[in-house]
Amino acid sequence: MSLTPMALRSVLRTPTGLRPLLLQAPRALYHSYEHAQPPPYREAESAILSSAFTYVPTHGFTQEALTLGAKDAGYLDISTNLFPKGAFELVKYHLTTQRLGLKDRIQFPDGQMGVGRKVRSLVLERLRANADTGVINRWQEALALMSLAENIPASLRELSALSDEIWFLSGDISVDTSWYTKRASLSAIYAATEVYQTTDKSTDFKDTEQFLDRRLEELRVMGGAVGNTLEWVGFQGGALVNLLRSKGVRI
Amino acid sequence: MTSLAPRAAKRLRLSNTPRSVCTDCRRTFASSVRAQQQQQPASSQHARQDEKTTHFGFDTVAENLKASRVAAVFSSVASNYDTMNDLMSLGIHRLWKDHFVRSLNPGIRPTTSAQPQGQRILDIAGGTGDIAFRMLDHATNINRDTQTSVIVSDINPEMLGEGRKRFSTSPYQAAGRVSFMEANAEQLDQVESNSIDLYTVAFGIRNFTHKQKALEEAFRVLKPGGVFACLEFAPNLNNPVMNAVYKRWSFGAIPLIGQIVAADRDSYQYLVESIEKFPSQQEFAGMIRDAGFLLPGQRPEDEVVKAGWEDLTMGIAAIHKGVKPA
Ligand SMILES: C[S@@+](CC[C@H](N)C(=O)[O-])C[C@H]1O[C@@H](n2cnc3c(N)ncnc32)[C@H](O)[C@@H]1O
Repeated sequence: MSLTPMALRSVLRTPTGLRPLLLQAPRALYHSYEHAQPPPYREAESAILSSAFTYVPTHGFTQEALTLGAKDAGYLDISTNLFPKGAFELVKYHLTTQRLGLKDRIQFPDGQMGVGRKVRSLVLERLRANADTGVINRWQEALALMSLAENIPASLRELSALSDEIWFLSGDISVDTSWYTKRASLSAIYAATEVYQTTDKSTDFKDTEQFLDRRLEELRVMGGAVGNTLEWVGFQGGALVNLLRSKGVRI
Repeated sequence: MTSLAPRAAKRLRLSNTPRSVCTDCRRTFASSVRAQQQQQPASSQHARQDEKTTHFGFDTVAENLKASRVAAVFSSVASNYDTMNDLMSLGIHRLWKDHFVRSLNPGIRPTTSAQPQGQRILDIAGGTGDIAFRMLDHATNINRDTQTSVIVSDINPEMLGEGRKRFSTSPYQAAGRVSFMEANAEQLDQVESNSIDLYTVAFGIRNFTHKQKALEEAFRVLKPGGVFACLEFAPNLNNPVMNAVYKRWSFGAIPLIGQIVAADRDSYQYLVESIEKFPSQQEFAGMIRDAGFLLPGQRPEDEVVKAGWEDLTMGIAAIHKGVKPA
């Protein structure tokens, strides 16, 4: 990938942790439709994590939830050593299962909607999953875990994979140069909107929906040139970091 | 380091020049080992073609001799074996042990269980009870668990004796939370199948003659869901340059220092060589998997072993874990 000087500048201005997001090379599109995907977890892991997940609304994304889940699944307190990343594994579990489950949460009637509208619906649907699973009140804990240095790469990988999945499900399968910026922009929008969602007190997350629409509109207005978009992504990245910092998350 | 060796040698009037230290003591053994051998019939002294052989450091010896030689090594270093660990780990093995225990998080929190029974921990090659002490401290102070108990097991009664002594004045001894068991890790007949929550072995497994057999025994005695955990030196550091420096240190200086501080160069020489002979992290994780354990962090689609261990301090040592499927 070659970057224009302007694009490079915005990459450099982006917080270090978020840079890989802008620089990742496109990999082969890899989706549940095209390939039989390997199950993301081994049997024992699935059993423990799915049981543990039911404790997240009450116990948070914690080692304790993991332990309780292990015991419900017929394992021991000590068996949580199966998860080297501890409580973060519960966060990853939510991210992975909800990303893979997105295609079943929403169906688009043929030829009635543009790509843009579909992206919007998919983002909202994915955010709704945070509420449906009852983890939204605990999601700031999850964000804190995701922003720990050792968890940042895995968190960004998941974010990019979600972005890929949303573009794919919206019917956009282009693999040209705009691919980078599309993925990066959507990742940034999604991340910012999700942070906003954790603070949203409105009914049915109406405010979150409006927040998302403002971000999408900005992108539409500014998104013409590659350089501009990257600059915008850098800005969003910075704004995201500031928002997280204001929430007491140390990044 | 190079200049330290000759000077130290001169001071002690060692007959060997430092250069010959490594090669020479591969051929000679600690006097205690030699004394023991002389009591045996001549035919068993040398490994013959038709006998099964194994490594003793860099030497190849008859399998049935290895255990007794290892025993001799640990008998002779029992009282100051910490020195060896200090030398090999550049002084940080205590931190590794702390990290080992903290990452395992032994003990049962009252909040996760209505009537906590406590865990049964088996510390193999537990020697002087170093790991056992830390386990009990962690369970008690961090998880408020006063039930969990540890069986300290070692093949060597002298090492166990040191452990007994250390625990004799502790509250754990009084509360019956620690016991001692003399056993070869390859055959734990005294331990019931499916009875242990956590099996630990720190700096011990490289001395076992049949490592795979020991792993299978670990699998047998563990409850479903139980955890195997091992802390051990690794044969090679991750970084080739650091590796060369470290090898020079371990092979060049440690046996000599062993001579100086413990007047027992050969035992220390054996310990250094036994690390060199130990399988790499990936190979050893493969052996753990072969015994039936799930490796933490291994992805379901990966055929080759890619996870299951954590390197410590540039890979001088590593922590391996395995979970017995329920
Ligand atoms: C270096 S010490 C480690 C002691 C202690 N675990 C620690 O970390 O400080 C190695 C121990 O392994 C024991 N050992 C050697 N071979 C053994 C075997 N086959 N079964 C059980 N223990 C063995 C030795 O007797 C010795 O006490």
